[in-house]
Amino acid sequence: MSEPAVVFEDVGYAYEEAPREAVSDINLRIDAGEWVGVTGPTNAGKSTLCLLAMGLAPHFFGGKLRGKVTVLGTESRAIKVIERSTDVGLLFQNPFTQVSGARERVDEEVAFGPECHGVAPAEIEARVGEAMDLVGISALAARHPLDLSGGQLQRLALASLLAMRPKVLLLDEPTSQLDPAGTAAIFEVLSGLHQSGITIVMVEHRLETLCELCPRIVAMVTGRILADGAPQDVFNREVVQERVGLPVYTRLALSAPLPAPWPVRLSESAKAFGTPIA
Amino acid sequence: MPDISLEKVLFSYPGGVDVYPQPGLSLALESGVTALVGENGAGKTTLTKLLIGLLRPRSGDINVAGLDVSKTTVAAMAKTVGYTFQNPDDQLFERTVKAEVTFGPRVLKRPPADVDRGVAAAIKACGLAGKEDVHPHDLGLSERKWVAIASALASEPSVVVLDEPTLGQDYPSRQRLRELVMRLGSEGKIVLVVTHDMDFVGEACPKTVVLSHGAVRYAGPTSNAFGDRALLKEAGIEPLHVTGLAQAIGLRQCVNEAEFLATWRR
Repeated sequence: MSEPAVVFEDVGYAYEEAPREAVSDINLRIDAGEWVGVTGPTNAGKSTLCLLAMGLAPHFFGGKLRGKVTVLGTESRAIKVIERSTDVGLLFQNPFTQVSGARERVDEEVAFGPECHGVAPAEIEARVGEAMDLVGISALAARHPLDLSGGQLQRLALASLLAMRPKVLLLDEPTSQLDPAGTAAIFEVLSGLHQSGITIVMVEHRLETLCELCPRIVAMVTGRILADGAPQDVFNREVVQERVGLPVYTRLALSAPLPAPWPVRLSESAKAFGTPIA
Repeated sequence: MPDISLEKVLFSYPGGVDVYPQPGLSLALESGVTALVGENGAGKTTLTKLLIGLLRPRSGDINVAGLDVSKTTVAAMAKTVGYTFQNPDDQLFERTVKAEVTFGPRVLKRPPADVDRGVAAAIKACGLAGKEDVHPHDLGLSERKWVAIASALASEPSVVVLDEPTLGQDYPSRQRLRELVMRLGSEGKIVLVVTHDMDFVGEACPKTVVLSHGAVRYAGPTSNAFGDRALLKEAGIEPLHVTGLAQAIGLRQCVNEAEFLATWRR
């Protein structure tokens, strides 16, 4: 059995002065090397889940944490975010909030994390080059981070995380600002990272994408986990269909109607619909 | 006469190259819902900012619903065009949702009865009922996006421009957006939706304009835009999921779920 990478045990969390918890009764074990997709409607608690795993909640946001969040063997209460950031990287939903604001060039921004952790200069240079190359922003090295487009900024934010060589990546809608070509390129990078054994937790609304990429999906609604399992198992559950929505392939099969189990991916869907009915 | 027309429009950002290659961008849009699609940097957002006079062309003519944009201030354009930025935080600054949505029609000095009607309708259409007194920045990204949309609609403009409205939206929210956009279109408004979300284009936008490297590569019915694979590839456009499925099982091209099911049953 694999080592656990991210473990939530009976976790509840309320932001400061919030009347109720943003997430409640979260029990979740993600093993090292897994690629887990997290989805659910607005206010489901997806971003909060990421902030908790990173330790920003409660260390930065304050608020009230119940239960235990353990990442790579250390409970979040027992480790500062700055120490956590050597092994765990969180990509914020809005890349603008990610850039340091303290660096005037893209390559310097990518170097910011390793510099803060006292990585040797030669090593930093190697990591920065590699990270920028991976996400396709090498040509932007000399630009000012705040002059970049939303899509470019999102790639920069990811490169900054990769320069830290994290073991766990928490990605809150990593391609929300990107066009299809940019999205495909980033997912290819993530696939490579997944193959190399990095644990990825990825919040994503595009269910078709999620089903193609992630072997496991966690569906959340109003702060709780509604379903957790293989894509087809998750989206064949009526309660998920009603409250989270469905990949287009599943929706088509249901409206057709085809018999269950309903497909969630293109290949299964093509098989299920087969040749047209005469 | 088209409701929006651009004639040989040339524009460049300071120190930058031409966004639209010579002889400039020419485009005509009529009432109803039109999707504006194309790769990052194709000139989509620039185009929408030219339409409201936030950016001024170096040369060329832009007419929007009878107004010569070059002779109209941004404030005056706001009477005619409701605009939402890609990033809602670029346009939200009031302390409550209600104040934010009311800001536009109030500043435009619309009669109080019109302000009340427009604001109430916009808040309802955007699913913000019950959240009138919330601070916009206490809402999630998706809801802030809705506040921005409501603000654009509150002045009851005849032209509505939405930049990436589906970004960060969950499924129920996308459905609401689809219904809203289609209703605005059927009311005879000119609705321009800038988006990378091709499934939304297929479901909600009968017409599509494809921009690539600043040039119009296609303008016409959405149903014909997704058949040309070379065009899609060049413009960095993802084929629709339903189109992909239809192709995989040998059906003729479809751009939305209803079309797919009808074709499959036949």
